[in-house]
Amino acid sequence: MKKTVPLILGMVFGAYALAEFYLPHHAVAGLSDELRSWAAILSAAAFILGGLNILQVTWPKIRRREDDWGYKVVLLGGAAVMLAVGLPWHKLGDPPRAPTVARTAGGAGPGATVIVTVPDDVTYTVGTVVGPGTGAPIAIAVEPGPVAIKLSKRLAGYRPLTTTVDVAAGDTVTVGGEPPILWGRDGRVFTWIYDHVFGPANATMFSLLAFFVASAAFRAFRARSIEAALLLTAAIIMLIGRAPFGGAISSVFPDLAQWLLDVPQNGGRRAIMMGAAIGAIATGLRVIVGIERSHLGSE
Amino acid sequence: MAAEHWSERLQRFDRRWIFLIMGLAVVVPLFVPLNLPTRPDPMTKAAYNTVEALPEGARVFVSIDLDPSATPELEPFYRAVILHLKRKRARLVFATTWYAAPPLVNRYLRETVDRAIAPPGAEGYDGAPDRAYQRNVDYVYLGFRDGRSAIIQAFGSDLRGAFDGRADDGTPLDRIPMMQGLNKLADFDLVVLVSAGSPGAKEYVQYVGTRNRLPMVAACTAVSTADLAPYVQTGQLLGLVGGMAGAAGYERLVGKPGAGTAGADVLNIGTMVVILAIVFGNVVYFAGRAHRRRGGRS
Repeated sequence: MKKTVPLILGMVFGAYALAEFYLPHHAVAGLSDELRSWAAILSAAAFILGGLNILQVTWPKIRRREDDWGYKVVLLGGAAVMLAVGLPWHKLGDPPRAPTVARTAGGAGPGATVIVTVPDDVTYTVGTVVGPGTGAPIAIAVEPGPVAIKLSKRLAGYRPLTTTVDVAAGDTVTVGGEPPILWGRDGRVFTWIYDHVFGPANATMFSLLAFFVASAAFRAFRARSIEAALLLTAAIIMLIGRAPFGGAISSVFPDLAQWLLDVPQNGGRRAIMMGAAIGAIATGLRVIVGIERSHLGSE
Repeated sequence: MAAEHWSERLQRFDRRWIFLIMGLAVVVPLFVPLNLPTRPDPMTKAAYNTVEALPEGARVFVSIDLDPSATPELEPFYRAVILHLKRKRARLVFATTWYAAPPLVNRYLRETVDRAIAPPGAEGYDGAPDRAYQRNVDYVYLGFRDGRSAIIQAFGSDLRGAFDGRADDGTPLDRIPMMQGLNKLADFDLVVLVSAGSPGAKEYVQYVGTRNRLPMVAACTAVSTADLAPYVQTGQLLGLVGGMAGAAGYERLVGKPGAGTAGADVLNIGTMVVILAIVFGNVVYFAGRAHRRRGGRS
Protein backbone atom coordinates (compact mmCIF):
# COMPACT_ATOMS: atom_id res chain seq x y z
CA MET A 1 0.00 0.00 0.00
CA LYS A 2 2.85 2.32 0.96
CA LYS A 3 4.24 2.02 -2.53
CA THR A 4 1.19 1.10 -4.55
CA VAL A 5 -0.62 4.42 -4.09
CA PRO A 6 2.43 6.57 -5.04
CA LEU A 7 3.03 4.22 -7.98
CA ILE A 8 -0.55 4.65 -9.24
CA LEU A 9 -0.39 8.43 -8.71
CA GLY A 10 2.88 8.53 -10.67
CA MET A 11 1.35 6.49 -13.50
CA VAL A 12 -1.84 8.58 -13.71
CA PHE A 13 -0.21 12.02 -13.53
CA GLY A 14 2.74 10.97 -15.68
CA ALA A 15 0.41 9.69 -18.39
CA TYR A 16 -1.71 12.84 -18.13
CA ALA A 17 1.33 15.13 -18.45
CA LEU A 18 2.36 13.22 -21.57
CA ALA A 19 -1.15 13.18 -23.08
CA GLU A 20 -1.50 16.93 -22.53
CA PHE A 21 1.00 17.55 -25.33
CA TYR A 22 -1.32 15.77 -27.80
CA LEU A 23 -4.72 17.05 -26.58
CA PRO A 24 -5.07 20.74 -27.46
CA HIS A 25 -8.28 21.27 -25.44
CA HIS A 26 -8.71 24.10 -22.92
CA ALA A 27 -10.04 21.74 -20.22
CA VAL A 28 -6.91 19.61 -20.48
CA ALA A 29 -4.69 22.70 -20.40
CA GLY A 30 -6.59 24.05 -17.36
CA LEU A 31 -5.97 20.92 -15.33
CA SER A 32 -2.34 20.94 -16.41
CA ASP A 33 -1.97 24.50 -15.12
CA GLU A 34 -3.48 23.40 -11.82
CA LEU A 35 -1.03 20.51 -11.57
CA ARG A 36 1.88 22.83 -12.32
CA SER A 37 0.71 25.10 -9.50
CA TRP A 38 0.85 22.07 -7.21
CA ALA A 39 4.37 21.37 -8.43
CA ALA A 40 5.40 24.97 -7.67
CA ILE A 41 3.88 24.75 -4.17
CA LEU A 42 5.64 21.44 -3.50
CA SER A 43 8.89 22.92 -4.75
CA ALA A 44 8.53 25.90 -2.38
CA ALA A 45 7.64 23.55 0.49
CA ALA A 46 10.89 21.69 -0.17
CA PHE A 47 12.75 24.77 1.09
CA ILE A 48 11.14 24.29 4.52
CA LEU A 49 12.01 20.60 4.50
CA GLY A 50 15.55 21.50 3.43
CA GLY A 51 15.88 23.89 6.37
CA LEU A 52 14.66 21.27 8.83
CA ASN A 53 16.97 18.71 7.23
CA ILE A 54 20.01 20.96 7.67
CA LEU A 55 19.11 21.30 11.36
CA GLN A 56 18.60 17.56 11.72
CA VAL A 57 21.93 16.70 10.07
CA THR A 58 24.05 19.50 11.52
CA TRP A 59 22.95 19.84 15.12
CA PRO A 60 24.03 16.32 16.26
CA LYS A 61 27.48 16.91 14.72
CA ILE A 62 27.87 20.15 16.66
CA ARG A 63 26.72 18.46 19.88
CA ARG A 64 29.28 15.65 19.41
CA ARG A 65 32.00 18.17 18.44
CA GLU A 66 32.76 16.23 15.25
CA ASP A 67 35.38 17.41 12.72
CA ASP A 68 34.78 20.95 11.43
CA TRP A 69 31.91 21.47 13.85
CA GLY A 70 32.79 25.16 13.95
CA TYR A 71 31.80 25.57 10.29
CA LYS A 72 28.44 23.98 11.06
CA VAL A 73 27.88 26.56 13.81
CA VAL A 74 28.54 29.26 11.20
CA LEU A 75 26.10 27.52 8.83
CA LEU A 76 23.30 27.35 11.38
CA GLY A 77 24.09 30.84 12.69
CA GLY A 78 23.96 32.26 9.16
CA ALA A 79 20.67 30.51 8.45
CA ALA A 80 19.18 31.78 11.73
CA VAL A 81 20.30 35.35 11.06
CA MET A 82 18.88 35.32 7.51
CA LEU A 83 15.61 33.86 8.79
CA ALA A 84 15.39 36.53 11.49
CA VAL A 85 16.13 39.48 9.18
CA GLY A 86 13.98 37.97 6.43
CA LEU A 87 10.79 38.32 8.47
CA PRO A 88 8.80 41.54 7.99
CA TRP A 89 9.09 42.81 11.57
CA HIS A 90 8.02 46.32 10.56
CA LYS A 91 4.47 45.00 10.15
CA LEU A 92 4.27 44.55 13.95
CA GLY A 93 4.33 48.33 14.35
CA ASP A 94 2.82 51.03 12.22
CA PRO A 95 5.68 52.94 10.57
CA PRO A 96 4.56 56.05 8.68
CA ARG A 97 3.63 55.84 5.01
CA ALA A 98 3.29 59.60 4.37
CA PRO A 99 5.53 62.57 5.21
CA THR A 100 4.49 65.16 7.78
CA VAL A 101 2.71 68.03 6.06
CA ALA A 102 1.90 71.44 7.57
CA ARG A 103 0.02 74.04 5.55
CA THR A 104 -0.02 77.83 5.97
CA ALA A 105 -2.69 79.58 3.90
CA GLY A 106 -3.11 83.18 2.90
CA GLY A 107 0.12 84.21 1.19
CA ALA A 108 0.23 86.54 -1.75
CA GLY A 109 0.84 85.61 -5.40
CA PRO A 110 -0.67 83.25 -7.93
CA GLY A 111 1.61 80.29 -7.10
CA ALA A 112 2.29 78.21 -4.02
CA THR A 113 5.45 77.06 -2.24
CA VAL A 114 6.44 73.67 -0.87
CA ILE A 115 9.26 73.78 1.69
CA VAL A 116 11.05 70.44 2.08
CA THR A 117 13.29 69.77 5.07
CA VAL A 118 14.91 66.32 4.86
CA PRO A 119 18.33 64.82 5.71
CA ASP A 120 20.99 64.63 3.01
CA ASP A 121 20.52 60.88 2.45
CA VAL A 122 16.91 61.44 1.39
CA THR A 123 15.78 62.30 -2.13
CA TYR A 124 12.62 64.39 -2.49
CA THR A 125 10.20 64.47 -5.39
CA VAL A 126 7.76 67.38 -5.45
CA GLY A 127 5.64 67.25 -8.58
CA THR A 128 8.24 66.96 -11.32
CA VAL A 129 11.10 68.42 -9.24
CA VAL A 130 13.57 65.83 -7.92
CA GLY A 131 16.57 66.63 -5.73
CA PRO A 132 18.69 65.59 -2.77
CA GLY A 133 17.97 66.78 0.75
CA THR A 134 20.49 68.98 2.56
CA GLY A 135 19.16 69.04 6.11
CA ALA A 136 18.15 72.69 5.53
CA PRO A 137 14.75 73.89 4.23
CA ILE A 138 14.47 73.88 0.42
CA ALA A 139 11.72 76.03 -1.15
CA ILE A 140 10.08 74.76 -4.35
CA ALA A 141 7.55 76.83 -6.27
CA VAL A 142 4.55 74.83 -7.49
CA GLU A 143 1.36 75.50 -9.40
CA PRO A 144 -1.90 75.40 -7.40
CA GLY A 145 -3.65 72.02 -7.52
CA PRO A 146 -2.75 68.48 -6.46
CA VAL A 147 1.01 68.00 -5.95
CA ALA A 148 2.52 64.51 -5.54
CA ILE A 149 5.24 64.40 -2.87
CA LYS A 150 7.64 61.52 -2.32
CA LEU A 151 10.56 61.19 0.10
CA SER A 152 12.85 58.20 -0.45
CA LYS A 153 16.22 57.09 0.90
CA ARG A 154 18.95 56.65 -1.66
CA LEU A 155 19.76 53.25 -0.13
CA ALA A 156 17.47 50.25 -0.67
CA GLY A 157 15.48 48.82 2.24
CA TYR A 158 13.49 51.85 3.36
CA ARG A 159 9.82 52.58 2.72
CA PRO A 160 9.32 55.76 0.64
CA LEU A 161 6.94 58.31 2.16
CA THR A 162 4.32 59.42 -0.36
CA THR A 163 1.34 61.71 -0.30
CA THR A 164 -0.60 64.08 -2.55
CA VAL A 165 -1.33 67.59 -1.24
CA ASP A 166 -3.98 69.84 -2.76
CA VAL A 167 -2.42 73.31 -2.63
CA ALA A 168 -4.17 76.61 -3.28
CA ALA A 169 -2.67 79.84 -4.59
CA GLY A 170 -0.63 81.56 -1.89
CA ASP A 171 -0.27 78.42 0.27
CA THR A 172 3.01 77.46 1.89
CA VAL A 173 3.28 73.72 2.58
CA THR A 174 6.05 72.47 4.85
CA VAL A 175 7.05 68.83 4.30
CA GLY A 176 9.35 66.70 6.43
CA GLY A 177 9.98 63.15 7.57
CA GLU A 178 12.41 60.27 7.25
CA PRO A 179 11.55 57.07 5.38
CA PRO A 180 11.30 54.21 7.91
CA ILE A 181 13.47 51.11 7.71
CA LEU A 182 11.90 47.94 6.32
CA TRP A 183 12.54 44.34 7.37
CA GLY A 184 12.00 41.17 5.40
CA ARG A 185 13.22 40.25 1.92
CA ASP A 186 13.23 43.87 0.71
CA GLY A 187 14.45 45.22 4.05
CA ARG A 188 17.62 47.16 4.74
CA VAL A 189 19.43 44.50 6.80
CA PHE A 190 18.60 41.66 4.41
CA THR A 191 19.72 43.75 1.43
CA TRP A 192 22.91 44.80 3.22
CA ILE A 193 23.84 41.19 4.08
CA TYR A 194 23.08 40.13 0.50
CA ASP A 195 25.14 42.95 -1.02
CA HIS A 196 28.07 42.85 1.41
CA VAL A 197 28.33 39.20 2.50
CA PHE A 198 26.48 36.78 0.21
CA GLY A 199 27.28 38.57 -3.07
CA PRO A 200 31.04 38.92 -2.56
CA ALA A 201 31.36 35.40 -1.06
CA ASN A 202 29.40 33.89 -3.95
CA ALA A 203 31.42 35.78 -6.56
CA THR A 204 34.69 34.85 -4.83
CA MET A 205 33.93 31.13 -5.04
CA PHE A 206 33.33 31.43 -8.80
CA SER A 207 36.36 33.69 -9.33
CA LEU A 208 38.69 31.11 -7.79
CA LEU A 209 38.07 29.00 -10.89
CA ALA A 210 40.36 31.31 -12.88
CA PHE A 211 43.29 30.33 -10.67
CA PHE A 212 42.52 26.62 -10.73
CA VAL A 213 42.04 26.67 -14.51
CA ALA A 214 45.47 28.30 -14.95
CA SER A 215 47.07 25.78 -12.62
CA ALA A 216 45.33 22.86 -14.34
CA ALA A 217 46.37 24.23 -17.75
CA PHE A 218 50.02 23.86 -16.70
CA ARG A 219 49.76 20.53 -14.87
CA ALA A 220 47.09 18.47 -16.60
CA PHE A 221 46.40 19.76 -20.09
CA ARG A 222 49.07 17.79 -21.96
CA ALA A 223 49.21 16.19 -25.38
CA ARG A 224 49.79 12.65 -24.09
CA SER A 225 47.90 11.06 -27.01
CA ILE A 226 46.49 11.95 -30.43
CA GLU A 227 43.04 12.57 -28.91
CA ALA A 228 44.49 14.80 -26.19
CA ALA A 229 46.50 16.71 -28.82
CA LEU A 230 43.34 17.31 -30.89
CA LEU A 231 41.49 18.50 -27.80
CA LEU A 232 44.39 20.75 -26.88
CA THR A 233 44.57 22.29 -30.36
CA ALA A 234 40.82 22.91 -30.44
CA ALA A 235 40.94 24.46 -26.97
CA ILE A 236 43.76 26.84 -27.91
CA ILE A 237 41.98 27.89 -31.11
CA MET A 238 38.78 28.52 -29.13
CA LEU A 239 40.66 30.47 -26.45
CA ILE A 240 42.38 32.69 -29.01
CA GLY A 241 39.32 33.02 -31.23
CA ARG A 242 36.86 33.93 -28.48
CA ALA A 243 39.14 36.43 -26.73
CA PRO A 244 39.23 39.89 -28.33
CA PHE A 245 43.00 39.73 -28.92
CA GLY A 246 42.44 36.83 -31.36
CA GLY A 247 40.52 39.11 -33.69
CA ALA A 248 43.19 41.78 -33.29
CA ILE A 249 45.86 39.30 -34.47
CA SER A 250 43.89 37.95 -37.43
CA SER A 251 40.24 37.54 -38.38
CA VAL A 252 41.07 33.91 -39.09
CA PHE A 253 41.03 33.03 -35.36
CA PRO A 254 37.45 34.18 -34.60
CA ASP A 255 36.23 32.57 -37.83
CA LEU A 256 38.00 29.31 -37.03
CA ALA A 257 36.63 29.35 -33.46
CA GLN A 258 33.11 29.98 -34.78
CA TRP A 259 33.49 27.10 -37.23
CA LEU A 260 34.61 24.81 -34.41
CA LEU A 261 31.58 25.87 -32.39
CA ASP A 262 29.12 25.61 -35.27
CA VAL A 263 30.22 22.39 -36.88
CA PRO A 264 32.12 19.81 -34.79
CA GLN A 265 30.95 21.09 -31.39
CA ASN A 266 27.30 21.54 -32.27
CA GLY A 267 27.22 18.21 -34.11
CA GLY A 268 28.65 16.36 -31.13
CA ARG A 269 26.53 18.27 -28.66
CA ARG A 270 23.37 17.59 -30.64
CA ALA A 271 24.11 13.87 -30.67
CA ILE A 272 24.58 13.90 -26.89
CA MET A 273 21.38 15.90 -26.39
CA MET A 274 19.34 13.57 -28.58
CA GLY A 275 20.78 10.52 -26.86
CA ALA A 276 19.97 11.99 -23.46
CA ALA A 277 16.45 12.90 -24.62
CA ILE A 278 15.79 9.37 -25.84
CA GLY A 279 17.08 8.08 -22.51
CA ALA A 280 14.76 10.48 -20.67
CA ILE A 281 11.80 9.29 -22.78
CA ALA A 282 12.64 5.67 -21.98
CA THR A 283 12.98 6.42 -18.24
CA GLY A 284 9.73 8.42 -18.27
CA LEU A 285 7.87 5.57 -19.93
CA ARG A 286 9.31 3.10 -17.43
CA VAL A 287 8.02 5.30 -14.58
CA ILE A 288 4.59 5.68 -16.19
CA VAL A 289 4.10 1.97 -16.75
CA GLY A 290 5.47 1.15 -13.29
CA ILE A 291 8.65 -0.70 -14.27
CA GLU A 292 10.97 1.96 -12.83
CA ARG A 293 10.39 2.28 -9.08
CA SER A 294 13.67 3.70 -7.77
CA HIS A 295 12.04 7.13 -7.20
CA LEU A 296 9.83 5.52 -4.54
CA GLY A 297 12.84 4.74 -2.37
CA SER A 298 14.59 1.50 -1.48
CA GLU A 299 12.76 -1.67 -0.48
CA MET B 1 74.83 11.83 -8.34
CA ALA B 2 73.56 13.19 -11.66
CA ALA B 3 72.15 16.67 -11.70
CA GLU B 4 68.41 16.91 -11.88
CA HIS B 5 67.15 17.71 -15.39
CA TRP B 6 65.50 21.13 -15.75
CA SER B 7 62.22 19.59 -16.87
CA GLU B 8 62.03 17.58 -13.66
CA ARG B 9 62.60 20.68 -11.57
CA LEU B 10 59.84 22.47 -13.47
CA GLN B 11 57.47 19.51 -12.97
CA ARG B 12 57.54 20.46 -9.30
CA PHE B 13 56.92 24.12 -10.13
CA ASP B 14 55.16 25.75 -7.18
CA ARG B 15 51.67 26.47 -8.44
CA ARG B 16 51.43 29.55 -6.24
CA TRP B 17 53.53 31.31 -8.91
CA ILE B 18 50.78 30.58 -11.42
CA PHE B 19 48.21 31.94 -8.98
CA LEU B 20 50.30 35.11 -8.62
CA ILE B 21 50.67 35.54 -12.39
CA MET B 22 46.94 34.98 -12.89
CA GLY B 23 46.17 37.45 -10.12
CA LEU B 24 48.31 40.09 -11.81
CA ALA B 25 46.77 39.23 -15.20
CA VAL B 26 43.34 39.94 -13.74
CA VAL B 27 44.19 43.07 -11.77
CA VAL B 28 46.70 44.97 -13.96
CA PRO B 29 44.46 45.38 -17.07
CA LEU B 30 41.83 47.00 -14.87
CA PHE B 31 44.30 49.81 -14.17
CA VAL B 32 46.19 49.76 -17.50
CA PRO B 33 43.57 49.09 -20.19
CA LEU B 34 44.75 47.77 -23.56
CA ASN B 35 41.55 48.86 -25.31
CA LEU B 36 41.80 46.21 -28.02
CA PRO B 37 38.78 46.34 -30.33
CA THR B 38 36.06 43.80 -29.65
CA ARG B 39 34.48 42.00 -32.58
CA PRO B 40 30.88 40.82 -32.06
CA ASP B 41 30.46 37.18 -33.06
CA PRO B 42 27.59 36.12 -35.40
CA MET B 43 25.39 34.88 -32.53
CA THR B 44 25.74 38.22 -30.69
CA LYS B 45 24.96 40.10 -33.90
CA ALA B 46 21.86 37.93 -34.35
CA ALA B 47 20.70 38.80 -30.81
CA TYR B 48 21.27 42.50 -31.48
CA ASN B 49 19.43 42.38 -34.83
CA THR B 50 16.46 40.63 -33.19
CA VAL B 51 16.10 43.41 -30.60
CA GLU B 52 16.75 46.06 -33.25
CA ALA B 53 13.93 44.65 -35.41
CA LEU B 54 11.35 45.09 -32.61
CA PRO B 55 8.65 47.67 -33.27
CA GLU B 56 8.39 50.77 -31.03
CA GLY B 57 6.58 49.93 -27.80
CA ALA B 58 7.11 46.17 -28.19
CA ARG B 59 6.22 44.00 -25.21
CA VAL B 60 9.23 42.14 -23.91
CA PHE B 61 9.53 39.53 -21.15
CA VAL B 62 12.91 39.54 -19.39
CA SER B 63 13.82 36.56 -17.22
CA ILE B 64 16.82 37.29 -15.00
CA ASP B 65 18.04 33.92 -13.78
CA LEU B 66 21.39 34.39 -12.09
CA ASP B 67 23.20 34.88 -8.81
CA PRO B 68 26.09 37.18 -7.87
CA SER B 69 28.74 34.74 -9.13
CA ALA B 70 27.59 35.25 -12.73
CA THR B 71 27.26 39.03 -12.64
CA PRO B 72 30.68 39.86 -14.20
CA GLU B 73 29.69 37.91 -17.32
CA LEU B 74 25.98 38.67 -17.51
CA GLU B 75 25.43 42.11 -16.00
CA PRO B 76 27.18 43.94 -18.89
CA PHE B 77 24.82 42.29 -21.38
CA TYR B 78 21.80 42.99 -19.15
CA ARG B 79 22.65 46.71 -18.99
CA ALA B 80 23.31 46.93 -22.73
CA VAL B 81 20.13 45.11 -23.74
CA ILE B 82 17.96 47.14 -21.33
CA LEU B 83 19.35 50.35 -22.84
CA HIS B 84 18.66 48.92 -26.29
CA LEU B 85 15.09 47.97 -25.32
CA LYS B 86 14.42 51.32 -23.64
CA ARG B 87 15.58 53.10 -26.79
CA LYS B 88 12.88 51.12 -28.60
CA ARG B 89 10.42 52.27 -25.89
CA ALA B 90 9.72 48.61 -25.16
CA ARG B 91 7.31 47.77 -22.34
CA LEU B 92 9.12 45.40 -20.07
CA VAL B 93 7.97 42.60 -17.77
CA PHE B 94 10.62 41.13 -15.47
CA ALA B 95 10.67 37.87 -13.50
CA THR B 96 13.19 35.45 -12.03
CA THR B 97 13.23 31.73 -11.29
CA TRP B 98 16.37 31.81 -9.12
CA TYR B 99 15.89 32.14 -5.35
CA ALA B 100 19.18 34.00 -4.95
CA ALA B 101 18.31 36.58 -7.60
CA PRO B 102 15.60 38.90 -6.16
CA PRO B 103 17.85 41.36 -4.26
CA LEU B 104 20.09 41.54 -7.34
CA VAL B 105 17.11 42.08 -9.66
CA ASN B 106 15.79 44.82 -7.37
CA ARG B 107 19.14 46.59 -7.63
CA TYR B 108 19.22 46.16 -11.42
CA LEU B 109 15.74 47.64 -11.70
CA ARG B 110 16.67 50.61 -9.50
CA GLU B 111 19.85 51.31 -11.45
CA THR B 112 18.79 50.61 -15.02
CA VAL B 113 15.01 50.89 -15.32
CA ASP B 114 13.88 53.36 -12.66
CA ARG B 115 16.70 55.63 -13.88
CA ALA B 116 17.99 56.45 -17.35
CA ILE B 117 21.11 54.49 -18.31
CA ALA B 118 22.16 56.98 -21.00
CA PRO B 119 20.38 60.29 -20.41
CA PRO B 120 20.85 63.11 -22.96
CA GLY B 121 24.47 64.27 -22.89
CA ALA B 122 25.83 61.08 -21.32
CA GLU B 123 29.63 61.03 -21.60
CA GLY B 124 31.09 58.78 -24.31
CA TYR B 125 27.70 57.95 -25.81
CA ASP B 126 26.38 59.18 -29.15
CA GLY B 127 23.28 56.99 -29.44
CA ALA B 128 19.67 57.83 -28.71
CA PRO B 129 19.07 58.59 -25.02
CA ASP B 130 16.77 56.54 -22.84
CA ARG B 131 14.56 57.73 -20.01
CA ALA B 132 13.57 56.63 -16.51
CA TYR B 133 10.75 54.10 -16.61
CA GLN B 134 7.89 54.19 -14.14
CA ARG B 135 7.03 51.00 -12.28
CA ASN B 136 3.67 49.47 -13.21
CA VAL B 137 3.35 52.00 -16.03
CA ASP B 138 6.29 51.33 -18.35
CA TYR B 139 7.48 48.13 -16.70
CA VAL B 140 6.30 45.47 -14.28
CA TYR B 141 8.36 43.30 -11.96
CA LEU B 142 6.55 40.06 -11.26
CA GLY B 143 9.09 38.76 -8.75
CA PHE B 144 10.44 35.29 -8.01
CA ARG B 145 8.68 31.96 -8.34
CA ASP B 146 10.22 28.62 -7.48
CA GLY B 147 9.34 25.45 -9.36
CA ARG B 148 12.13 25.14 -11.92
CA SER B 149 10.84 23.64 -15.18
CA ALA B 150 7.25 23.40 -13.86
CA ILE B 151 7.07 27.13 -13.22
CA ILE B 152 8.58 27.91 -16.63
CA GLN B 153 5.83 25.78 -18.17
CA ALA B 154 3.32 27.74 -16.10
CA PHE B 155 4.72 31.01 -17.52
CA GLY B 156 4.05 29.56 -20.97
CA SER B 157 0.40 28.82 -20.31
CA ASP B 158 -0.71 31.21 -17.54
CA LEU B 159 1.80 33.89 -16.56
CA ARG B 160 -0.68 35.79 -14.37
CA GLY B 161 -1.73 32.62 -12.54
CA ALA B 162 1.91 31.73 -11.86
CA PHE B 163 2.25 35.02 -9.94
CA ASP B 164 -1.22 34.88 -8.33
CA GLY B 165 -2.32 37.80 -10.50
CA ARG B 166 -0.09 40.31 -8.69
CA ALA B 167 3.13 42.18 -9.36
CA ASP B 168 5.97 41.88 -6.84
CA ASP B 169 4.83 45.03 -5.03
CA GLY B 170 1.34 43.57 -4.59
CA THR B 171 -0.38 45.60 -7.31
CA PRO B 172 -3.06 43.48 -9.04
CA LEU B 173 -1.98 42.90 -12.64
CA ASP B 174 -5.54 43.66 -13.78
CA ARG B 175 -5.04 47.26 -12.62
CA ILE B 176 -1.84 47.76 -14.64
CA PRO B 177 -2.79 49.01 -18.13
CA MET B 178 0.39 47.75 -19.82
CA MET B 179 -0.44 44.18 -18.73
CA GLN B 180 -3.62 44.15 -20.80
CA GLY B 181 -3.49 41.23 -23.20
CA LEU B 182 -0.38 39.79 -21.58
CA ASN B 183 -1.45 36.44 -20.16
CA LYS B 184 1.25 34.06 -21.30
CA LEU B 185 4.71 34.13 -22.84
CA ALA B 186 3.33 33.81 -26.38
CA ASP B 187 1.70 37.25 -25.96
CA PHE B 188 5.13 38.94 -25.88
CA ASP B 189 7.01 40.17 -28.92
CA LEU B 190 10.29 38.90 -27.49
CA VAL B 191 11.61 36.91 -24.55
CA VAL B 192 15.05 37.93 -23.28
CA LEU B 193 16.80 35.37 -21.09
CA VAL B 194 19.69 36.42 -18.87
CA SER B 195 20.66 32.96 -17.82
CA ALA B 196 23.49 31.73 -15.59
CA GLY B 197 22.48 28.07 -15.53
CA SER B 198 19.56 25.88 -14.60
CA PRO B 199 16.71 26.74 -14.60
CA GLY B 200 17.34 29.14 -17.43
CA ALA B 201 17.60 29.42 -21.18
CA LYS B 202 17.79 25.67 -21.76
CA GLU B 203 14.56 25.04 -19.83
CA TYR B 204 12.82 27.92 -21.60
CA VAL B 205 13.76 26.39 -24.97
CA GLN B 206 12.81 22.87 -23.98
CA TYR B 207 9.55 23.51 -22.13
CA VAL B 208 7.96 26.60 -23.66
CA GLY B 209 10.05 28.02 -26.48
CA THR B 210 9.58 25.45 -29.20
CA ARG B 211 6.05 24.48 -28.12
CA ASN B 212 4.79 28.07 -28.28
CA ARG B 213 7.15 29.24 -31.06
CA LEU B 214 8.49 31.99 -28.81
CA PRO B 215 10.97 34.51 -30.24
CA MET B 216 13.80 34.29 -27.70
CA VAL B 217 17.32 35.62 -27.30
CA ALA B 218 19.60 34.56 -24.47
CA ALA B 219 22.79 35.54 -22.71
CA CYS B 220 24.74 32.93 -20.82
CA THR B 221 28.08 32.40 -19.11
CA ALA B 222 31.00 31.46 -21.37
CA VAL B 223 30.97 27.83 -20.21
CA SER B 224 27.29 27.47 -21.15
CA THR B 225 27.79 28.80 -24.68
CA ALA B 226 28.59 25.37 -26.06
CA ASP B 227 25.41 23.99 -24.42
CA LEU B 228 23.12 26.58 -25.96
CA ALA B 229 24.77 27.14 -29.36
CA PRO B 230 22.87 24.25 -31.04
CA TYR B 231 19.60 26.05 -30.27
CA VAL B 232 20.78 29.06 -32.29
CA GLN B 233 21.47 26.88 -35.32
CA THR B 234 18.00 25.35 -35.14
CA GLY B 235 16.35 28.76 -34.72
CA GLN B 236 15.01 27.92 -31.25
CA LEU B 237 17.06 30.85 -29.99
CA LEU B 238 17.24 33.86 -32.30
CA GLY B 239 20.53 35.01 -30.80
CA LEU B 240 23.00 34.10 -28.08
CA VAL B 241 25.41 36.33 -26.19
CA GLY B 242 28.10 34.13 -24.67
CA GLY B 243 30.08 35.33 -21.67
CA MET B 244 31.97 38.56 -21.22
CA ALA B 245 33.33 38.56 -24.80
CA GLY B 246 29.77 38.37 -26.16
CA ALA B 247 28.63 41.11 -23.78
CA ALA B 248 31.50 43.34 -24.93
CA GLY B 249 30.40 42.75 -28.52
CA TYR B 250 26.80 43.66 -27.65
CA GLU B 251 27.97 46.82 -25.89
CA ARG B 252 29.88 47.77 -29.01
CA LEU B 253 26.80 47.24 -31.19
CA VAL B 254 24.64 49.31 -28.82
CA GLY B 255 27.31 51.99 -28.79
CA LYS B 256 27.81 52.31 -25.06
CA PRO B 257 30.99 50.66 -23.73
CA GLY B 258 30.60 49.39 -20.19
CA ALA B 259 31.85 46.71 -17.84
CA GLY B 260 31.95 44.13 -20.64
CA THR B 261 34.35 46.22 -22.71
CA ALA B 262 36.49 46.96 -19.65
CA GLY B 263 36.44 43.26 -18.74
CA ALA B 264 37.53 42.26 -22.24
CA ASP B 265 41.05 43.40 -21.35
CA VAL B 266 41.05 41.09 -18.32
CA LEU B 267 39.78 38.34 -20.60
CA ASN B 268 42.61 39.02 -23.07
CA ILE B 269 45.41 38.81 -20.54
CA GLY B 270 43.81 35.99 -18.55
CA THR B 271 43.37 33.93 -21.72
CA MET B 272 47.00 34.60 -22.70
CA VAL B 273 48.14 33.33 -19.29
CA VAL B 274 46.11 30.13 -19.71
CA ILE B 275 47.50 29.58 -23.23
CA LEU B 276 51.06 30.19 -22.04
CA ALA B 277 50.49 27.82 -19.11
CA ILE B 278 49.33 25.12 -21.54
CA VAL B 279 52.30 25.67 -23.86
CA PHE B 280 54.79 25.84 -20.97
CA GLY B 281 53.32 22.70 -19.39
CA ASN B 282 53.64 20.81 -22.68
CA VAL B 283 57.22 22.00 -23.31
CA VAL B 284 58.17 20.73 -19.84
CA TYR B 285 56.29 17.47 -20.46
CA PHE B 286 57.90 16.74 -23.84
CA ALA B 287 61.36 17.80 -22.68
CA GLY B 288 61.04 15.44 -19.71
CA ARG B 289 59.85 12.60 -21.94
CA ALA B 290 62.74 13.13 -24.39
CA HIS B 291 65.19 13.18 -21.49
CA ARG B 292 63.81 9.93 -20.09
CA ARG B 293 64.00 8.28 -23.54
CA ARG B 294 67.65 9.28 -23.77
CA GLY B 295 68.20 7.34 -20.56
CA GLY B 296 67.97 10.12 -18.03
CA ARG B 297 66.45 9.63 -14.61
CA SER B 298 62.68 9.26 -14.52
